[in-house]
Amino acid sequence: MTEPIVRVGGLHKYFRRGSEQIDVLIDLSLDVPEGEYLALMGPSGSGKTTLLNLIAGLDQPSDGEIWVGDHLISAMSEAELARWRTRHVGFVFQFYHLLPVLTAYENVELPLLLLPMSAAERRQQVLTALDLVGLSDRLRHRPGQLSGGQQQRVGIARAIVTDPTLIVADEPTGDPAARSAEEILNLIVELKRGLNKTILMVTHDPRAAARAERVLHLEKGCLVRETAPV
Amino acid sequence: MSSIEECVEAALREPLYVACASVAVLLVAGAVAYYKQLRFIVKSLNRNKLRTGLTGVATAVLVFIITLIWSILWFLDLVTTEKAKDFKAIVTERWQLPSQMPVSYGNSLAEGAASRPGDIVPQDNMTWQFFGGTIDPAKRTRENIVFFFCMEPRKLLTMMDGIDEFSETDLEKLKRAISEMEKDKRKVVIGKERLEAMNKKVGERLKVTGMNYQDIDLEVEIIGEFPAGRYGQSAVMNRDYLNDAMDDYNRRLAKSKGKHPLTEKSLNLVWLKIPDTDAFRRLSEQIESSSLYTNPAVKCETASSGVASFLDAYRDLIWGMRWLLVPAILVTMSLVIANAISISVRERRTEMAVLKVLGYSPGQVMGLVLGEALLVGVVGGLLSSAGTYYFINEVMGGVKFPIAFFPAFKIPRDALWWGPMIGGLTAFAGSFAPALAARSVKVSEVFSKIS
Repeated sequence: MTEPIVRVGGLHKYFRRGSEQIDVLIDLSLDVPEGEYLALMGPSGSGKTTLLNLIAGLDQPSDGEIWVGDHLISAMSEAELARWRTRHVGFVFQFYHLLPVLTAYENVELPLLLLPMSAAERRQQVLTALDLVGLSDRLRHRPGQLSGGQQQRVGIARAIVTDPTLIVADEPTGDPAARSAEEILNLIVELKRGLNKTILMVTHDPRAAARAERVLHLEKGCLVRETAPV
Repeated sequence: MSSIEECVEAALREPLYVACASVAVLLVAGAVAYYKQLRFIVKSLNRNKLRTGLTGVATAVLVFIITLIWSILWFLDLVTTEKAKDFKAIVTERWQLPSQMPVSYGNSLAEGAASRPGDIVPQDNMTWQFFGGTIDPAKRTRENIVFFFCMEPRKLLTMMDGIDEFSETDLEKLKRAISEMEKDKRKVVIGKERLEAMNKKVGERLKVTGMNYQDIDLEVEIIGEFPAGRYGQSAVMNRDYLNDAMDDYNRRLAKSKGKHPLTEKSLNLVWLKIPDTDAFRRLSEQIESSSLYTNPAVKCETASSGVASFLDAYRDLIWGMRWLLVPAILVTMSLVIANAISISVRERRTEMAVLKVLGYSPGQVMGLVLGEALLVGVVGGLLSSAGTYYFINEVMGGVKFPIAFFPAFKIPRDALWWGPMIGGLTAFAGSFAPALAARSVKVSEVFSKIS
């Protein structure tokens, strides 16, 4: 079996509302092998997005450890996490969250601006990423000039442009305005196969879960079962 | 010294060049360091052109007002600050304002009351007698009044501050006029703006009816004009003309009406040039202890403190401008920018969160917000100060704000860096809190609210 790229042990996350402690994740442990496509499912409030945010280094656990590769990200400061995310995590959002003032090219280029590379190298990587998602002909289009499916593809190009260790996706097919869920899912599967990326996806969509190699179900902050896709 | 070194040294003496070079170096350094983000900053500002434009205009308007006020305060500070070279002393009557001394004081004061070997003798001197009159006794409006400095014409070139800043053409014209004034004492030079106010031109003759010198009317011929600006409202007459008119009055009317009341009181000020502060201290002791000046007694002070005493009447106004008006405007500028940037940050919380997800550190997110504000502030300030400099100096001929004997104030070249500096600093102050808010946007909170 492949070595796990993500190792989560004894993870606990709670929030405080006044004197009340609200447990979101309780003593959760999880290994994700490199190159796996893992789907996280569960009802609203089960803690799946919180788990995704913690693994992506967007939040800090209350207790427990999270390792991604050789990095203990649960012990990193906010600035260290930011630097780490640039290189190691590509994030795909439900509502794309492209910057409306930037073109498709500039949106994809944005994470590369933080890395020490020449303009020519940046350009090459952006063009490659946009080519992989089939948007080479939409470089100068702004998000407002693209369809929902095209915007999500730009979002995916932005997620893969830095060649990250992990791709995390939060309901990538969840925008009811977009009518191209199949198209997006096909693209994610293609990328997973072609680039051998590890993909963690939170989803309510059975079609998305059906394409995953493993599906984990969360309820009330705990992993309740693991299923193989149908 | 090589010619390059000379050029550099000459350039460094010019505050404008130093300021421009500093701004240019900062801009280049900033552009090199942040050129990748600069495009993003400009595009972010471009998303709401109206808001960005209005913020820029508000900054420009407030920089315009600050520039006007600071130009006045800057000039007043300049004339009330002791100089290291071209040191000048003023001798006036000790106990009375306005000062009225006998003309006879003039000659010995010109020598600094030096009586013993080793006493300090001034390098140069100038006497001032003030003659105010109207060109229409029946209608004494502001436009019809002219106020003459009666002095030796040639002292205009050696003792008056700011004449050396005239253009070569204006200086040549003035030299010709001085030569004419020395040949014909009825010829006078009047400032361009005063001439315009009186609706008179060079070459015309005027009859000036004395206002402070009762029954002394002088017929003068305008032989030249001072350019607009510092001397735009001034007028200069050969002192001999006034003194001869007084002598004539006393010859004709002494028996019937008695001597003119200002006969022994027509010398108002004596200016003395000395090399340094030590010479001033000794000169001051010499003059104030001299038995020549007992009735009335005189005082000798530095030009700057002399001017400062003239400005004493405006003390509250100047204090208010410096410590109330200017800070109020600066605070207003900061609040205008704070308001615009706060709205922008609030509207773009999700965008800030996305940037953080992509790997932007809190400091970089803060830098982007500060960068937007600084760009608006610096550009608005620069355009405003450059526009103010050109419009006020070239079109209006100075800020018409009469204080003491300064009728108008030019915008100094230093103002060209005040604008970007004020704009930049207030933008920084105003955007700091919103930038901090952007810095501390919690990604997990933003996206949990969205989904």
